[in-house]
Amino acid sequence: MFFFRRKRLFTILIGIIILVGLIGFSIQERDHITAPEQFVKDATGWLQQAIHTPVDYVTNVFSNIDDVKNVYQENQQLKESLEQYQQTLYEVQELRKENEELTSIIDKTESDSLSSYNPIQASVISRSPEKWFKQVTINKGKQDGVEKNMAVITGTGMIGKIQTVSQFSSTILLLNGFDRSNRISVNVNIADQDEDASGFILGYDEDRKALLLEFTDYNEAVKAGEFVFSSGLGGVFPKGLEIGEVQEVTTDQYGLTQIAYVKPSSDLTDLQHVIVVDRVMDNASDSQQEEEE
Amino acid sequence: MSRLYIPLLLVLIFVFEGVAYEFIPADITQRDLFIIAHWTFVFLVLMALFYDMEYTYYSILAAVIIGLMTDIAYTNIIGVYMFIYALVIYFIHGIRKLLHANFFVAFLLTILGVALVDMGISFVYSFIGVNNMPLTGYMVYRLVPTLIANAIAFIVFYIIFKSRLVKWATVRFDNKK
Repeated sequence: MFFFRRKRLFTILIGIIILVGLIGFSIQERDHITAPEQFVKDATGWLQQAIHTPVDYVTNVFSNIDDVKNVYQENQQLKESLEQYQQTLYEVQELRKENEELTSIIDKTESDSLSSYNPIQASVISRSPEKWFKQVTINKGKQDGVEKNMAVITGTGMIGKIQTVSQFSSTILLLNGFDRSNRISVNVNIADQDEDASGFILGYDEDRKALLLEFTDYNEAVKAGEFVFSSGLGGVFPKGLEIGEVQEVTTDQYGLTQIAYVKPSSDLTDLQHVIVVDRVMDNASDSQQEEEE
Repeated sequence: MSRLYIPLLLVLIFVFEGVAYEFIPADITQRDLFIIAHWTFVFLVLMALFYDMEYTYYSILAAVIIGLMTDIAYTNIIGVYMFIYALVIYFIHGIRKLLHANFFVAFLLTILGVALVDMGISFVYSFIGVNNMPLTGYMVYRLVPTLIANAIAFIVFYIIFKSRLVKWATVRFDNKK
């Protein structure tokens, strides 16, 4: 009996050693995940999609029925706003033409622009049940051109970035899981001024449910309600992705730097279809690697 | 044939854990409550109580594998679920010799097991820095809702799987003798 107890204790101790080893291995910043991990992620991703598709279909049918109820009212409203859009459409076309002319004058090609990107359409297939990890899985992976650190957006704005990539699926780190190690360089659009205020998104405030923005310069003109866009200067994300709206402008606890709380413009809880943003211009890290080679 | 059912069921429940989170209405998940589904663990408890014999350890093997899969697919940090699931299932497997396995014993052991698992996981995560919730907040916002949600899952699983697990166990282990 004594022997068995020692054996049991021994096993648990070995278990703890393996646990610490595995945690230490997986917590470090890794560029690529190992092949077995990719296999498990892809296999579960495939099964999740197999379950997700029919369930999605059924829920869609129900929400469609819900939508049909309000069709008439919405139609009236849409007709009104359509007339307004005609006007803006004309303006946009004119501006676009003008923009093209101007860029052709200064010999700037499309791929030079920080704001251009190739979209990769993807569907969300699952969300981590462990709520401390703000991550969701999508059904596109390395084979579709997804790479680590790409920005992910929906129609309303940015939702996060690609955290890990396997061959056929990948996981997204949502905006509310961001911390100092993955900051975003942003611009705040100020209505009265020509110049934008620039700063960094440093993380997410759980209590306020808002992103924390730190400005590089003190700027009096920033007010609540202004829109925040990615500036493209961080080297990873393209320029001009909408991130959110300024909620409140204050200073930090020492009163030295100006900070703002930014409410994400897209709903992070209800995600179905997302777009992975593949920046056309080379990433800063990519070009660095090429130079090293 | 019945040997295949249990791994298949476990994988199915495991996959469903992730998919279900996409379909839970947003106004439930948007609140501050942390409801964590430990459905695979609930099934593993049932397996330890009604499938395993005293001398077999299939539930612990399954706990290690499913824990590892949960770590890889749903979190970034490998080893936490694997270790805690296996440890708690081992504990429940050991305690079952002392108790007669019926509905109430199974219910209490599941609640105890889920509480141990969740607290163990939070404890390990607080070391790594993933979890920085104060203890009282954790109790109110995470532990209690998680326990309630998993108790409901337990009742559903018990109704569906209990008699089947007993049947599969007799088919499997009586043939051996």
